[in-house]
Amino acid sequence: MSTTTLPREVRPALPAVRRIPSAAGALVTLAKRRASLTSRTPRQIAVPLLGPLLLALIAAPALKAATGGLRSHIDYAAFIDIGTIALLVPLSCIFAGLSVIIDREQGAQRELLAAPVPRAYLVLGNLAVALGLAALQVTVLLALAALRGAHFAITASGMAWFLAAAVLITVFTYAVAETLASRIHKQEDYIAAIPAVAILPFFFAGALFPISAMPAALATIAKFLPLTHALALMRYAFVDPRGTGLHAIWGMSNVTTEAWLSLGVVAVFAAALTAISIRVFSRSAVG
Amino acid sequence: MTTHAIHAKLEPDGPVSLPIVEVSGLRKTYSGGVEAVKGIDFEIAAGEVFGLLGPNGAGKSTTIGMLSTTIAPSGGAARLAGFDVATQPIAARSVSSVVFQDAVVDRNLSGRANLVLHARLWAVAPRDAKAQIADLVDALGLGELVDRNVGSYSGGERRRLEIARALISRPRVLFLDEPTVGLDPRIRHELLDLIGDVREREETTILLTTHYLDEAQRLCDRVAIINRGEIVALDRPDALLAEIGEQVLELRVGDDASRARGALAAQGVPVDTAFAVGSTLTVPLHHCSAGDVMAALDRAGVVAAAVSTRRPTLDDVYLRLTGDSLAAA
Repeated sequence: MSTTTLPREVRPALPAVRRIPSAAGALVTLAKRRASLTSRTPRQIAVPLLGPLLLALIAAPALKAATGGLRSHIDYAAFIDIGTIALLVPLSCIFAGLSVIIDREQGAQRELLAAPVPRAYLVLGNLAVALGLAALQVTVLLALAALRGAHFAITASGMAWFLAAAVLITVFTYAVAETLASRIHKQEDYIAAIPAVAILPFFFAGALFPISAMPAALATIAKFLPLTHALALMRYAFVDPRGTGLHAIWGMSNVTTEAWLSLGVVAVFAAALTAISIRVFSRSAVG
Repeated sequence: MTTHAIHAKLEPDGPVSLPIVEVSGLRKTYSGGVEAVKGIDFEIAAGEVFGLLGPNGAGKSTTIGMLSTTIAPSGGAARLAGFDVATQPIAARSVSSVVFQDAVVDRNLSGRANLVLHARLWAVAPRDAKAQIADLVDALGLGELVDRNVGSYSGGERRRLEIARALISRPRVLFLDEPTVGLDPRIRHELLDLIGDVREREETTILLTTHYLDEAQRLCDRVAIINRGEIVALDRPDALLAEIGEQVLELRVGDDASRARGALAAQGVPVDTAFAVGSTLTVPLHHCSAGDVMAALDRAGVVAAAVSTRRPTLDDVYLRLTGDSLAAA
């Protein structure tokens, strides 16, 4: 057997780097792929919307009629309509995360891993579509609630608070979903995690009632959930201009400060979980 | 760590080709302690078709995975066109494409959408991508399929699409991981022709893994035989075959062929290159004749149920080196 290496002295200079896609180009391509696949599975759009929609359209007015409302300046039905977002966004993101497992099971993930793009882009491309999908679903939910008779006091600053809170809580929740999808190998195991990830926080975050109505210990737990802060912000934006929900969390006198603090909490959770999800995906995907 | 530093010149007495793939001490240990690749070394010249042969579980796909950066190496180094797969993974990926063993296409998208996706991710300019897709669709006979959902493709059609997709970016290095597994014989032969054409038309360096030895003999300039994560032989197919000789004698000798081998040795027959697998003893005839072997067996009282002579294959090379059967893998 020959043991001669290829002689090094005749090697040419190393070739120049081949073209690689720009960050924007790669992200748009990956997001378009995900959007294209999502559009072919309408259940991913409709199923997460169905439960929250029934809650907003049927349960919210019924609960208002049955309980007599919150006995405050806040319309209870509109309060629940916003609270329903705390169920809709997690369900939407969890369903979106399922596509990561499908990519892995069907093999498409390997092709993406072999592409000359940073692995983080694979997560961020999915996140972009999850954001778009959640935006569509939240818009449908609020539009139908408004048609039902809910009154939302929408101002420019309120819209800004709402969008910031909604985007950040979606980023946080999708990052949780992506992290789970990277760690959980089977679809059935992932689906089994839905109650814990998507439904449990809904009850703790004050979706159906103010957290001040809960026992003190549970209210304290609620204050550590980013979903509680996001809900309080979204209500402050559209139905609770006095910031009752924010006061219940922070107990401060300046509602704007409370809003910024809550936004900061959600932002920190969103940034941290996104970083974790990218790291977990990058590590788990390449063995 | 066991490291086999086995290299070979592509053309020992002719012009020297340049290495585009360089692998040094590459190893992979999976969680749980399974050593899939135990420190392998090889170089592949630009334009070469290099075969990595071995049974299932030998470490072929893990090696491809590490070279394509889809599996993280545990140690060693590898470079594609000079780019280190560990420290310059994006550059390394930009010069390579992979046809994986399992399907990796998006089944809910059309063939064309899959091709366009690959072109965009590999930063092929839109005009070039359009021309390249048209060219490859024509060359690979995908014209009637390309606008259909990939979910409706047969295995052979899907594999052709995957090869087309891998070629869109005109990779300098193309990894083909067992490209013919699961295909019927006709499609398999067509695909082998196609891979041969790819080499001619694209001047692409190809690293092909397979456990079909005829594929390696047909396509590869050089082959490395990998077994249990180690390269046990590396050379041109004809050079590997030359180590066995022009002909081999194959004997069915009952339950213990190793005992028959020992009996031949005791009778003075040179059996250094003979190998026994199950009830079959294979004796290369480069230092003795078939008559010598049969006479020695007769003297030793060993009865052969079946005797045949034939030309050696790479299977014989592999079996001689490992004592295992590729076919049984």
